Amino acid sequence: MTNPLRDILINARQESIRMQHYYIGVEHLFIGMLALQNGLTGALIEEQGLTPDYLIDAIRRTTGKGVKLRMWAGLPNSPRADIVLSIANDLAIERGKDVDQISERDLLLAVMEENDSVPLRVLRKLNVDTAVLKREAANRQPKYEGRQSYVQIEFSPSFSALDALNDDHLFILRRMFYGHDRIRIEKKLAGGYSSAVLLLITPTNSEGMEEAPVVAKIDAQDLILDEAQRYDLHVRGSLPSLTARLEDKPTTADACEVAGLRYTFVAPPNGRDGSPMSVRELGAEKIGHWLKSELFPTFGKTWWMQRHSYRFQVWSEYDYLLPPVLTIEFQQEDPANPPKHVLRDPIRRGKLAEIEYGDVIAIEGFTVQRVFRDKGIVHIANGRGSDAAKRAYKISVRGMNLSDAAYYRGEPIERIVGRVWKNRDELLHASAGAIYPDFDTHAAILPGIPEADPLPNPLTGYTALLEQYVNGTLSKIHGDLHLGNVLVGTHEAPFLIDFAEARVGHVLMDWASLEMSALAEFVVPVYGSNWESVREAARGLYAINRGETIASSNPDHDAAFRPIKAIRSIAGECLNTPDKWGEYQVALAMCSLRAITWDTMSVGGRRLLLYTAALAFHELQSRPSRTGFDTDTDMGGTPLET
Amino acid sequence: MKVSLMIMSGVDDGKVITCSTANQDGNLEGDHWFLTLGRRDDNDICLRNDTFASRYHARLHWRDGRWWLEDCSSRNGTYIEDRVDDARVLGTIPIDVNQLFCLGHTWLRIQPDDDYSPDRYS
Repeated sequence: MTNPLRDILINARQESIRMQHYYIGVEHLFIGMLALQNGLTGALIEEQGLTPDYLIDAIRRTTGKGVKLRMWAGLPNSPRADIVLSIANDLAIERGKDVDQISERDLLLAVMEENDSVPLRVLRKLNVDTAVLKREAANRQPKYEGRQSYVQIEFSPSFSALDALNDDHLFILRRMFYGHDRIRIEKKLAGGYSSAVLLLITPTNSEGMEEAPVVAKIDAQDLILDEAQRYDLHVRGSLPSLTARLEDKPTTADACEVAGLRYTFVAPPNGRDGSPMSVRELGAEKIGHWLKSELFPTFGKTWWMQRHSYRFQVWSEYDYLLPPVLTIEFQQEDPANPPKHVLRDPIRRGKLAEIEYGDVIAIEGFTVQRVFRDKGIVHIANGRGSDAAKRAYKISVRGMNLSDAAYYRGEPIERIVGRVWKNRDELLHASAGAIYPDFDTHAAILPGIPEADPLPNPLTGYTALLEQYVNGTLSKIHGDLHLGNVLVGTHEAPFLIDFAEARVGHVLMDWASLEMSALAEFVVPVYGSNWESVREAARGLYAINRGETIASSNPDHDAAFRPIKAIRSIAGECLNTPDKWGEYQVALAMCSLRAITWDTMSVGGRRLLLYTAALAFHELQSRPSRTGFDTDTDMGGTPLET
Repeated sequence: MKVSLMIMSGVDDGKVITCSTANQDGNLEGDHWFLTLGRRDDNDICLRNDTFASRYHARLHWRDGRWWLEDCSSRNGTYIEDRVDDARVLGTIPIDVNQLFCLGHTWLRIQPDDDYSPDRYS
């Protein structure tokens, strides 16, 4: 006869020791239940759109890690844990069981009954209705059986066989459309540049009726669950009345590393609503007008048009886009061999420049960003300030033993020591190497644009820019606005999806990011991807930067740049100071530089974006009066080094 | 005057500490009553087991018919619960019964005890 309580208590003790708490509280008991294989608690939490791992991290963030020093012997129960265990005991006796036969359900109901513990506070903070959870738990059999579901999946002829979905994707889709008879996957929306999969799906309900199409997004669990939280926080209350919404909780599964979200389209009540299509399908001719007349005014009312002045250092809004500033190999601290450098807030460029391969360094006061449990890698970052600043100065720490010590997202790291293995420059140069440069990526100047000579190499110049101050504006932003996330519905209604990066941030980031993707998708295909063609396209962009006409006998060239001109005209309305384009060029430089690291973007696209970043640097340096980077008093920083 | 505080996290999670003027707890100056909170034994509310709490970490004031929370320049700060990021207490802020606040790693709240009702203090 197994004793479920014993397994829970073993898990609870392990958790308490990993977190250096050395007592058993309700939070440890709860995590003990979440950690059970095929447990009731874990299953109920999944039905609420969370996962056990996600909830465990949220509980850890609330309690924080203790210190190594033990202040009492043994692992005593907290008073609240004693209360919960005695309620569970009563419940077991009510069921006619002995004291040592407390089931997981008894304990879970007892935690719900007590109602004031850390895990319940965390659940409420995550928008879980604990009354519903309690009712669900009470309705289950003491021995929980996982639910069965089978939903038939069909593929429309336009769904390409190359876009094949893996078993995890299909599993999540079946769970997401649980209760439906079947679903038809219409197409894969050529999405962004991340791992996310976006699918346009028509569900058919159990009565055989087709429902309105929805977009399903499938991505890593953490990211999906964060997106759902972000949506509640930043997006839900600020959407136009007709658009894509997240109406349902995320779909998760214990055994799956991915999770799913379903965007429902709220379309005009009149008429049959066709499937929303990607904005790309409007084509370069129409898209510019549509961006200005539909997208900007519709979402702008609550987003970009509600802006406030905002003075920031470039790194605080844009550093997070770049690869890790350092990659280090974790080490125990050796008193005989103290670290050569200590990195702590504020991070100085000079300090980073002194750090060399093989140096042992200490990092203090950072925060855990992401934990890759299977790879033994933890990403830590600055952890302070705005949404974007928190993720700045990311450092990748390898070789962590994650079974001995718990690390959780949001954990403050007082001090961590490691040996330097790689820096950001190397990662950026490696990315540049992947687009087969026909020039030296370490040189200070890029070749081939006679009108913009000398053209600074963004791969060597970006660090100076990160410390510049910018006078810009702040509003709610999408944070990842590119052509893949913009859809067009009936009556050309604009739909935005993918709110994983929605936040309050630099207004122009959205437009620079959209321009970046329009350059790769509208300009490169017309000009071509070899370096010669890319430089020709860059000369077109140079003309736009200067407000000149594009000197080309090919009318397609001018047409390809129309979306860019439209985006510039919207960006122009969002400038903090009219006609001072510096803040836009900063955003464009950083968004383009980031794109070079995306191997999911075409080689031609990455080549043009390297030149886009270079031209942005050129504008900032060569025309300070038009960019607004002219005086110390205006920008508050030192002028850019040339 | 009498107040109960419940510890809401850590090894003492669930423990209730009651202070009253009848028991000479806290400091009474006219109609201003305040309690000290911190790691040292001579605080009214002693957080002995929280190494993240300062020796004299914070004070709770009863003044003008309501409770106020003051951070005494503690090393790790005093926080009140918030949906996004817990907000650090700077100086003295009003605090409600049942509202959670945190010193070091210890969360606490003023209990909505039956014994507790503002009328009793007037």
